[in-house]
Amino acid sequence: MLIDNTIYGYAVARVKAMETRLLDQGHFERMVNSSDSGEALKILSETGYSAALAELDDVYNFEAVLGEELSYTFNTVLKISPIPEMIASLVLRYDIHNLKVLFKAKFLGIKSDLLIPVGSIELSKLEHAVNEDNYLFLPGKLRQAANNINDDFMLNRDPQIIDLLLDQVLYEQLIDSAREYESEFLEGLFTRQIDLNNLKTLLRIKRMGLNRDFLARVLLPNGSIALNKLTAMIEEPEESLISMLALSDYADLVNEGVREWTEKGSASLLEKLSDNFITAYLRESKWVPFGIEPLVGYLWAKEIEIKNIRIVLVGKINKLPAESIRERMRDVYI
Amino acid sequence: MEGIAIAMLGVALAVGLAGSGSAIGIGIVGQSACGLVSEDPDKFGQTLLLQALPGTQGIYGLLAGFLIMQDIGIVGAELVDLTAEQGYAFLMAALPIAIAGFSSGIYQGRVLASSINLIAKRPEEMGKGIVYAVMVETYAVFALLATILMLFGIDV
Repeated sequence: MLIDNTIYGYAVARVKAMETRLLDQGHFERMVNSSDSGEALKILSETGYSAALAELDDVYNFEAVLGEELSYTFNTVLKISPIPEMIASLVLRYDIHNLKVLFKAKFLGIKSDLLIPVGSIELSKLEHAVNEDNYLFLPGKLRQAANNINDDFMLNRDPQIIDLLLDQVLYEQLIDSAREYESEFLEGLFTRQIDLNNLKTLLRIKRMGLNRDFLARVLLPNGSIALNKLTAMIEEPEESLISMLALSDYADLVNEGVREWTEKGSASLLEKLSDNFITAYLRESKWVPFGIEPLVGYLWAKEIEIKNIRIVLVGKINKLPAESIRERMRDVYI
Repeated sequence: MEGIAIAMLGVALAVGLAGSGSAIGIGIVGQSACGLVSEDPDKFGQTLLLQALPGTQGIYGLLAGFLIMQDIGIVGAELVDLTAEQGYAFLMAALPIAIAGFSSGIYQGRVLASSINLIAKRPEEMGKGIVYAVMVETYAVFALLATILMLFGIDV
């Protein structure tokens, strides 16, 4: 599709102005160094979060504020984007997240507060659908996946199927829409996310001691690392995964993240490096004057900002030392 | 007498094409400026200055058009009797500013839209944003110079 890309002028300039209000390293540093969670919140309320935080009565309810902020950000970018359908494909991630939460809550019989008020489908509608087993209003592929999950779970009682099927639908849709809009940038973003997802899946399955067939079923197609190369790694030691990817973009990430995972049994460094990897990719096209790139970059920047705020506040509530909070925090986009 | 119509085509191209370049350029900057001002209304003054810059191509085109109109007597007492050859000479003279005015107006607008993004983050660097746009302007000025020199060379 050939379009005059200057239609993005308004949205890009507006997003650039909004970027100036993102929290910078200095804000986070002050929050990390604050004496307790109350003081960290006070520092946060000197920023764009002031209005939302004014209504907060208890530190423990900060998630509501963050969800609100994320939802506001997505709505704003959707509103100013000249081709909102392209941004809408990014919102699908949250529909999928909410569906996962709802399915797990239903099957495992727990009440969950992890729902995020972002997404193309209203939360109450989604909740109703899952509780009533009625997925008629969901868009095509999602509806099919929801039905499959329901049937499969009734049969096998295995909650893993939820993440698995929904992730497959999500990335299939994302890649489809990137190709439909002929956006190399978006396709590059989704390919990278698929690769990172597959790497984590491989490592997780390896640790769980499951076999090659199971892995082949759960890996996502359309990534840049060939699937048969990944499945072959299940019987190999972690070292050979590191050497297989030594010449790829993922070399450093795999090297540091996987080592930490094998040594300390914690995936948190790999998760953090994955986020930083995407941030670095988006930062490359930060200054595109006309195009969807800065819009996607801003949305990601906001997601990372919210993640960082959560890391700091949770760390402060649990009285973690400043050093260990700092080491969990993601690179900022600006 | 047929030379007049050909010379007037030159006027139309100089004013029309260079003016279109300016209009498109200003339009592009205007979109970006609206985006910035909707978040930060205090920057209206700065953005207005940036938006005005691609307007010069239209002025150059109009200037060239006026010079031709004066030469051929449309502005003034009576029409000059032009041969076809003289008419074509005027048309050719109008082309540099018509062509370069059109393209430089648009591209200057694109540079300035980026300058708007620049001042969104660093308002103190507006001067540099203008310098980049002035680089594009150079070629509109060269074209105008060529047009004027060519016009001076035509005997009527």
